[in-house]
Amino acid sequence: MSSEPQQVTGNVNSFNSFNVLTAHNSIVNFDTETDTEGRQILQWLSPLEPQQRHQGVRTDRLDGMGNWMLETNEFRKWSDIEDGCIEPVLFCHGNPGVGKTYLRYNNTFRLARDNANVTDDQQIAPL
Amino acid sequence: MIDSLCDQTGREDIAVIGLYCDFLAQREQSSTDMLGAILKQLICRGKIPEHIREAFRKAKKEFGGRGPRLPDLVELMKKAIVSLPLVFICIDAIDESIPRHRRELLESLREIIRVSINTRIFLTGRPHIEDEIVKGFSKVVRIHFSPTQDDIKSYLEMRLSRDTDPYAMDDELRTDIMRVIPERISEV
Repeated sequence: MSSEPQQVTGNVNSFNSFNVLTAHNSIVNFDTETDTEGRQILQWLSPLEPQQRHQGVRTDRLDGMGNWMLETNEFRKWSDIEDGCIEPVLFCHGNPGVGKTYLRYNNTFRLARDNANVTDDQQIAPL
Repeated sequence: MIDSLCDQTGREDIAVIGLYCDFLAQREQSSTDMLGAILKQLICRGKIPEHIREAFRKAKKEFGGRGPRLPDLVELMKKAIVSLPLVFICIDAIDESIPRHRRELLESLREIIRVSINTRIFLTGRPHIEDEIVKGFSKVVRIHFSPTQDDIKSYLEMRLSRDTDPYAMDDELRTDIMRVIPERISEV
């Protein structure tokens, strides 16, 4: 991917902070090597680095867990883009230790990853 | 299954942003830092928008460099997010953040989704916080999450396969574990 600054293109995601993405996927247009100010800006915006916690979650994640949730009407309603912004917030509640944290990554990270793997020449095949 | 989300959108340019809250790191997780972390992930997906560069340069000149304030971040984020076709913001364990900061973060997100109809927010938390979430947003889809028997069995299998002391295990014990634990958990 070009290091020249450019408009946001398709097939990008940003689950983690910039350094993880640039390390594992060449999907960030923003060049963290040469753009010193860019790096400073990211640091200025927040000292938090959610990717550190994410690495641990990713290791312990169990594929397929909680997939039933994706089939629920509630989830569909939330994720239905055609409806516009009818129900934009999904709150998944449960007791401590039931796997909510891991569930989220099952769902959303796979989405991010699958998108990252798609090049400009490819389309996501419909199910 | 998430593929079905992609199919529904018919778009490939989806941004997924993640944030964890943690009791143990409450002091570092102010509303400003949390929203800043969200914005940071949003803009590193492409060219850093000029309006954010300008805000940074301006702040740098003031008092030798001033951190962004929450209302500034809300404005910067609104401007950055509005042109994006689809953004998922996922915040885990929202109940583990400090109540005041949580309220501020939720208010900020509410303001942001008002201008960006293609933003979806996914929150997880313990049940006691539900009222707070529902009050914060006008329309909230709620799902109660509890693992199914199959989920528990898969989890046990995974844990048993990672057993650091496999010699203590035999078929009978394994069978007992696989039978008793899922039963007990579903009784809870």
